Amino acid sequence: MNLDKLQINACTRSGWQAIDLGFLMARAWWRQLFLSSLVPLLPLSTILLIVFSESPFWAVLIIWWLKPFWERLPLYIASRKLFGEEPDIWSHMKSLPLKDSLPWLLWRRFSVQRAFDNPITVLEELIGGTRRQRLRVLHGRHSDVAIANQLVCFCCEILVAFGLLVMFDFFTPESFGIEFYNNFNDLSQTGEWIYSLAGILAMTLVMPFHTMAGFALYLNRRIELEAWDIEISFRNLANRKQQERTSMSTLVLALTLSLIVMLASPAIVEAAIDHDRESSRQLIESVFQGEDFGEERTQRKWRFKDWSEEVDDETFPEWLIDFFEWWEDNVDFSDDLSGAAFWFKILLVVLFAGLLIYLLRRYRGPLSRWGRGKARETAPEVLFGLDVTPESLPEDVPHQVMRLWAEGDYREALSLLYRASLSRLIARYELAFRASHTELECAALVRARGIDSLSDYFWQLTSIWRKLAYGHQLPETEAIRDLCNDWVTELSDEAK
Amino acid sequence: MLDTRYRVEIPGGINLEAQVVGPIPRCFAYAIDLGIRGICILILSLVAIPFGAFGMGGGLFLIVLFAIEWLYPVLFELFWRGQTPGKKLLGISVINDDLSPVTLGPSMVRNLLRTVDFLPLFYLLGLISMLSNRRFQRLGDLAAGTLVISLPQSAKAVVIDDIAPLAPSIALLRTEQSSVIDFLQRSQQLSVPRQQELASILDGVTHDKDDDGVDRLHRIGAWFLGVR
Repeated sequence: MNLDKLQINACTRSGWQAIDLGFLMARAWWRQLFLSSLVPLLPLSTILLIVFSESPFWAVLIIWWLKPFWERLPLYIASRKLFGEEPDIWSHMKSLPLKDSLPWLLWRRFSVQRAFDNPITVLEELIGGTRRQRLRVLHGRHSDVAIANQLVCFCCEILVAFGLLVMFDFFTPESFGIEFYNNFNDLSQTGEWIYSLAGILAMTLVMPFHTMAGFALYLNRRIELEAWDIEISFRNLANRKQQERTSMSTLVLALTLSLIVMLASPAIVEAAIDHDRESSRQLIESVFQGEDFGEERTQRKWRFKDWSEEVDDETFPEWLIDFFEWWEDNVDFSDDLSGAAFWFKILLVVLFAGLLIYLLRRYRGPLSRWGRGKARETAPEVLFGLDVTPESLPEDVPHQVMRLWAEGDYREALSLLYRASLSRLIARYELAFRASHTELECAALVRARGIDSLSDYFWQLTSIWRKLAYGHQLPETEAIRDLCNDWVTELSDEAK
Repeated sequence: MLDTRYRVEIPGGINLEAQVVGPIPRCFAYAIDLGIRGICILILSLVAIPFGAFGMGGGLFLIVLFAIEWLYPVLFELFWRGQTPGKKLLGISVINDDLSPVTLGPSMVRNLLRTVDFLPLFYLLGLISMLSNRRFQRLGDLAAGTLVISLPQSAKAVVIDDIAPLAPSIALLRTEQSSVIDFLQRSQQLSVPRQQELASILDGVTHDKDDDGVDRLHRIGAWFLGVR
C-alpha cells in the first residue's frame, strides 16, 4: 500500500460524503467497472435466457441472486485503480472469484450492507471469526449510511428499469403493438422479455455506483482508523525538512557569492535592477493586453421609459365605463348558481389581492432590507476601549479637560474630550456607531451627517487624538484650548 | 485527485470551498419532503371533502395543491437558507454555483425544471444528469446555476487536560499544524502501535522514538490548540 499514489483525497468524511466520493470513483473508472461486470454477465445471461426462454423472469432472478459475484471483479479493479496501478485481472480471476461463496449466496445474500462488507472478503480475504471481528470494528460507524446506500440503490435499479421501459415505449411506434405495462398480471411473451432485459441492464448500470459507494465507506473507515491523512501529511513534512537540510548548504554558498558580487560592483547591480524593471514593465503591459483585461462588453436590459405626458386625472377613464357596461351585459343575475360561481371568483381574486397586499405590507421591512445585512444595533457603550456612556462624564467637560492638561495628564485630558464628544454625538445626533468602528470610520459617519462645522470640529479632534494616542505626538496647549472652546459651541448642552 | 470538494476563487484571491452532494443523500431528502407534502395534502383533503369534493372545496383544494406542489421547495429554499425540511435533516442545502446564497430566480428555475428531470419516469433524466458531471447537478441545477452542498458540521471539542504544551522548535505549514492537532484529537481512535508508527515517520524531525515521539507530538498539538 503506497499512500503517495492514492488517487482520492484522504480526509475524514461523514458517511454521506463518503458515498458521494464513491460515486465520483465510479464515474472516474466507469468504463472498466461497467465492462468488468458486463463481460462475465453477458454469456451467462444469454445461456439462462435461452434455458428459461418460456419464462425469462427466472433468469433474472438467478442473475440477481448471484449479484455478490458480479461485484467482486469491479471491486478488485477499483482497489488497484485507487493506487494508480493497472489491475492484473487474469491473476485475480484465477485466485479469487469464488472465495467464501456459500455464505454469500445463502444467509449473507440478505445482508443489508453488502457493499460495505464486500471489501473484507474480496480485498482482505478474511473468513470466519477474523472476518466477524474485523466487521465489528468497521461497523463502529457508517452502518446506517451503508444500509441507506443499499436501499436507495435498490430503488434506483427499479426506477432505472421502469424508466428505460417507458423511454422505450415513448420511442416505439404504436403500430408495433407491444403492450407491456397495461396489465402486469397478464403479460405477453414479448412483454416478459422486455421486462427481463430492462431488469438486467438496470442491474449492471447501477452496480458500479452501489459497489463503489460501499467501497468508499470502507475506505473512509480505514482512513479514520489508520489515519491515512496524518501519515501522508507527516511524510510530506519529513520530506520537506530533508530537502531543506540538503539545500541549506547550497543556499549559504550562493548567498555568500552574490554578496561578494554586490559589494564588488554596485554598477552591475544597478544595471541588473534596471533591466529587471524594464522586463517586468513589459510583462505587465503584455498581461494588460491579454484577454482578461480591456475586454468590452455590451449589456442590454429593460428599464422604464420616461413618460413625458401626464395622464389627465380629471376625466373618467374610458375603460372603466366599458368595464361596467360589459359587466351589465354579461353577468346574469337571474341564474343563482352561475351568479354564485361568478361572485365567488371575484371574491377569490379580491381575497388573493388582499392577501398579497397584506403580505407586502407585513414584510415590507424585511423585504426592503433584503440582502442588506442585519438591523441596526443599539448604541455601543464602549468604543475602542473608551467608555462613552453619558454617566461616565464629568459635569463641566472643557473645564475638567483643561485642568487635567495643566496637571500634565495629557492623554487623560484629550481622551476625556474625545470620548465626551463621541458620547454627545451618540446621544444627540443618534449616530450609528458600532463597537467595531475605527476612529476614522466614526469621523466619516459624522461627515455623512452633513453638518459642516460639526464634522470639521470632530475631524480636527480625531486627528489630534490619533496623533497623541498612537503617535505619541503632543499637541500645542493652544490647540487644546481651541478645541475646548469649540466644544462648548458645538457639543455642550447649551449648544443648540 | 478525486474529491467531492468544489472550489471557487473570489476576486480577492480567496478560495471558497464546499462539498458537493450526490444522488443518495438527495434522494433521501426528496423522499422526506415528499412525505411531508403528502401528509399536508392528506390533511387538506380531509378538510376539503366536507365542503364538497367538486364544488368550492374542490376548487380551493386544487389551488392549494398547486401551491404546495410548486412553491414548497422555492419558498423553503429562499427563506430557510436554501434548505427544505428534508435537506435540513440531511444537513445539505442549495446554493448558487458561485457559493452565494440562492436567490429567487435560480430557485424558481431549478424547481420548475423538476418536470424535465422527472422524465421519463421517477427522475431518471435527473439521475443521469447528476452522474454525468462532477458536481452532481441535475438538469434544473445546470440551467439555474445552482449546487447542492453539504453544510460543515461543527466538530466536537476534544478535552485535553494533563498534557504539558510544548512549542514546536521548527516552523510548520498550516496543513502540517492541523495534522499534528488531528494526531492529538484522534488519539482515542488510533491504536497505540499505529500512533508509534506515525510518530516514527517524523523521527528525523522530532529526534524522538516510539512513545517519546508520540508524546512530543501530543504536546506540540496541545500547543497549537492554544494550551499554554
